[in-house]
Amino acid sequence: MKKAAAVTGAFIMLAGCSTADISPTAEDEVTITYARGVDTTNATDATIKAFEEEHPNINVEVREMPPDTGEQHNQYATILSSGSDEIDVFAADVVWPAEFAQAGYALPLDRLIERDNVDIDAHFPATIESTSYNGRQFAMPAYTDAGLLFYRKDIVDEPPETWEELETMAADLQGEEGTSFGYAMQASQYEGLVTNAIEYIGAYGGQIINENQEVVVNSPEAIEGIQKMIDVTQSDFVPNNILNFQEIETENAFINGNTVFARNWPYLLSTSTDPEISNIPDNVGFTTLPSGSDGTASALGGWTTMINKNSEEVEASWEFVKFMSSEQGQKIGALEGSRAPTIESLYDDEDIQEANALFADDAFVETLQNAVPRPVTADYPEVSDIMQIELSRAAAGEITAEEAAANLERKLSAVLNEE
Amino acid sequence: MAGKPGRKFQLNEKQLGYAMVAPALVLILLVVIWPIMLSGWNSLFDYRLNDPTKSERIMSESLNLEEYADNRYLVEQNVNELSEAYPEGEETFNETWAVVEEHHEELVAEDEMAASYQEVNSMLNDYEPITDDNLRIQSIDGSWGSDFEAAMDEQIEAVNSVQQQADGDIALEIGYLAAQLENLQGSVLSPNFVGLQNYTDYLSDGRTWTALTNTTFFTIVSVGAELIIGLGVALLINRTFKGRGIVRASVLVPWAIPTAVAAMMWSYLFDGQSGIVAHYMAAIGLISDPGSLLTTASGSMFSIIFADVWKTTPYMALLLLAGLQTIPNTQYEAAEVDGAGRVQKFFFVTLPLLKSAILVALLFRTLDAFRVFDLIYVLTGGGPANATESISVFAYKALFEQQNFGAGSALSVIVFVCVAIISFIFVKLLGSDLFPERAKK
Amino acid sequence: MLKNQAGIRFYIFLAIFVFLVMFPFIWIFLTSLKPQNELTSFAWFTSNATLESYASAITTRPLFRYMLNSFVVSGLTTVLSLLIASFTAYAVTRLPIRGKTLILGLVLASSMFPPIAILSPIFNFVTDTGLRNSYIGLVIPYITISLPLAIWILATFFQKIPWELEESAKLDGATPFQTYRQIILPLATPGIFTTAILVFVAAWNEYLFALAINTADAWRTIPVGISFYQSEYTVPWGDISAATVIVTIPIVILVLIFQRRIVSGLTSGSVKE
Repeated sequence: MKKAAAVTGAFIMLAGCSTADISPTAEDEVTITYARGVDTTNATDATIKAFEEEHPNINVEVREMPPDTGEQHNQYATILSSGSDEIDVFAADVVWPAEFAQAGYALPLDRLIERDNVDIDAHFPATIESTSYNGRQFAMPAYTDAGLLFYRKDIVDEPPETWEELETMAADLQGEEGTSFGYAMQASQYEGLVTNAIEYIGAYGGQIINENQEVVVNSPEAIEGIQKMIDVTQSDFVPNNILNFQEIETENAFINGNTVFARNWPYLLSTSTDPEISNIPDNVGFTTLPSGSDGTASALGGWTTMINKNSEEVEASWEFVKFMSSEQGQKIGALEGSRAPTIESLYDDEDIQEANALFADDAFVETLQNAVPRPVTADYPEVSDIMQIELSRAAAGEITAEEAAANLERKLSAVLNEE
Repeated sequence: MAGKPGRKFQLNEKQLGYAMVAPALVLILLVVIWPIMLSGWNSLFDYRLNDPTKSERIMSESLNLEEYADNRYLVEQNVNELSEAYPEGEETFNETWAVVEEHHEELVAEDEMAASYQEVNSMLNDYEPITDDNLRIQSIDGSWGSDFEAAMDEQIEAVNSVQQQADGDIALEIGYLAAQLENLQGSVLSPNFVGLQNYTDYLSDGRTWTALTNTTFFTIVSVGAELIIGLGVALLINRTFKGRGIVRASVLVPWAIPTAVAAMMWSYLFDGQSGIVAHYMAAIGLISDPGSLLTTASGSMFSIIFADVWKTTPYMALLLLAGLQTIPNTQYEAAEVDGAGRVQKFFFVTLPLLKSAILVALLFRTLDAFRVFDLIYVLTGGGPANATESISVFAYKALFEQQNFGAGSALSVIVFVCVAIISFIFVKLLGSDLFPERAKK
Repeated sequence: MLKNQAGIRFYIFLAIFVFLVMFPFIWIFLTSLKPQNELTSFAWFTSNATLESYASAITTRPLFRYMLNSFVVSGLTTVLSLLIASFTAYAVTRLPIRGKTLILGLVLASSMFPPIAILSPIFNFVTDTGLRNSYIGLVIPYITISLPLAIWILATFFQKIPWELEESAKLDGATPFQTYRQIILPLATPGIFTTAILVFVAAWNEYLFALAINTADAWRTIPVGISFYQSEYTVPWGDISAATVIVTIPIVILVLIFQRRIVSGLTSGSVKE
């Protein structure tokens, strides 16, 4: 019995210390909580420092969310659906705003944007398109990302222009300079497969869902794109476990010098040129993704910033969001974390051009301008889930491109017409 | 066997008994049974958090005042702006606003509703979060809801036809007005009680059955392997030999590595390029090439089972080891006197006396295996092409990725029913062994 | 079967078996000593062994804080869960109460639902009671989840303890509660320690609830903490291997200490049919 009493005591003590970290703040000082994934660069800290200097009465606390994007989404959904106000501002993947807007988790920003005369047209149009839903702005772009083709400069003289050229070159050059494969991409059953597929489909002029929320995937163009993806994943020049490849595997294959070409996000440039971890620091080249019959298409990635609808500190939160998407905030992100700004004019900034070879590259800026957003729909998670399954089956060679397109059309229509 | 305690004593014992059971029951009822019942209730609704018209469980027609007030404000703003920007449509826009107003007057004719509306509207103006569901969701009587919906349908159509004549940016803006009218219409919440429809939908969906088949296959193979290996390990570490402590601790290591970490670790070991386990398996000819482990349907199922057996066998072994402790030495001595060899002792003494321990271990392992989630989610995410998707992974996707609580709950209840059937069979097999009151007689 | 003395063949077999079981862990250990650019090589031993990964593992994240959290949460869970479960198991096996089948059935039924499906209600419950980011917020669900297994194992153990011992204690004037403490608990030591290890490790391993409930870094437990070594596109295997090795060692020591108790019942010979 004595034991039990001691345990109860411990209970109370522990419950007590859990609340101890909520310290009262001075009346005019405001603390907001900013949630984001794990940031291994200095960018978040530097941004917050600069912001706090400008707004001495606002403190920003960082709440780390799971590093995996999918788990991060689920954690936000859990927290926000409970109506909690423990986070005020949060980083959202470029595909979330529509869903979170529809679910009522995010504060619409239109009135604030209008009040403070924020120029949202300074950002790349695709980034604004993906942060608005039904004509209302629910997020501000923080930084952007787009797929690029990386290659070995010591093997490839002239990078391929079209997917056909890539196929020939990858098959021919595979094995040179100790490489084992010609090409690596992301084909595991996860969100990355959707972005890769969108690039193939876009290159041949196809679309999944059009502006009017109609499913248009069962078109000759889209089928051609899917077919090209199948040709690549079923070829001999990709790793035999390509169906398990995500960004990390692609990065490893490239920096270990195992592959001639690789499709990845811009971050690969900094890791592959770092002699500490890369075997090929001096031989890295990059260019836009190959073209199909309708030019080149690169999937839009990147992150945005949203405000929790239940936040008690809307004004302070908005100041922070505004700061992060401003020229000043994005410049810090570019210099400290190599994050590609969404404000077009920043690419003329000399500091930024110096910070990363990518930012000075016209081809890269053009890629960003033309990046293709993934379908903007509130049902995106369900749409993505269906696409992952069907595209995974196609990439594995279980079904043909025609079957995949037909299945996608049937299943996606069922989702979008449910309402 | 049992003697008869005195009457007074028995009363005390009874009270003590209930008092001793109470803490466990209270916790279980509060923390687990209540959520289970809530899930069962959720599964009867078309309940989706990411759809404002379905984000509540609604039994009777209601109005989401927050959506209503917010969108009404937006429609008003937009009508004013558009009337100026696009005079050709002014008449239609004004007509639309008049219809919205007409219905609004009717709605706020009722005092209580008018007061609630005022409150919500002023909170919205101050960016105050509206967390009180009783305020946010108001039930509405009579035909207001259906009248309003019908009227909005007409107006949306009218606005759409104006949009078709316009072009460029202005057409886009008019499109937004239509969308806002749709949202306004969507603030009328129809009951989303669907009865057993979630169940009939999912039970007729091939994906559910694939997931159930995957789960069953995984459960049978992995639990079977764990039982056989676990029994061997338990017998081994039950022996006396030098260094027994170290061996015991080391065979338990796999189980002490958290599943989330173990799954990450295995994805590294199974990797087609740099995974050492994949490399050796291919080298000894167990698999055709290292890449096939996580990329083919059979390869990835094998990988998952392999990782699970590695990780959970110690758990099984520990449970069986505990069971071995209850076998009295005298039984073996008696068998030896009868001239039984090692094998006979195992089959005629160990196994029969270990029956209840084996069944309890099997029961709990089966319950766990049937609900497998972490390992698959981290290792394959259910791929390739859904070949390893378990029913829990499927339910997780519905619940947390798609925020479809109705469907996710229905899938969870399906898991529950399957597991309940399995448990029932085990408990029947266990029979008197598990129900001490019967054993007492 | 205890009389068979272990021969050399037995030890060879044992060594191979332990090696196979331990192989993944050994490999992780060897990986943790490799420098960054050798992480993906098949070579067993590196010629440039370094403790860099260990230094990085304990500096980039508060690993020792995670360990402390895990120890407190798992420890509290184990003690409380055993206390509550042994009460229930004793009452169900030994005391004349009604509805034993119902109680055991209900207890079992509570472990039939997928944990993911009760996550949301529990999350809301913990949020509403203000117990997020605390030890207690995790301990309450953990105890509840571990109760079914604990109750059932203890019940099977208690049930095998001869009634005669209890009867004689009663005749000596012991109250039922004294009987429970002085007769039943000591006799069931192997069962209690087995259950303790099972409950402790289950709490130690739990990921889903820990991830959702304790979102502040200072309250994270080991499984969640280790998963935070990665970032969006990178998995630092060196750090993760080193962290895995660091957190596994105390568990091994713990098992080494407690494993004697698991089988002590056998040597004391008090359990008889």
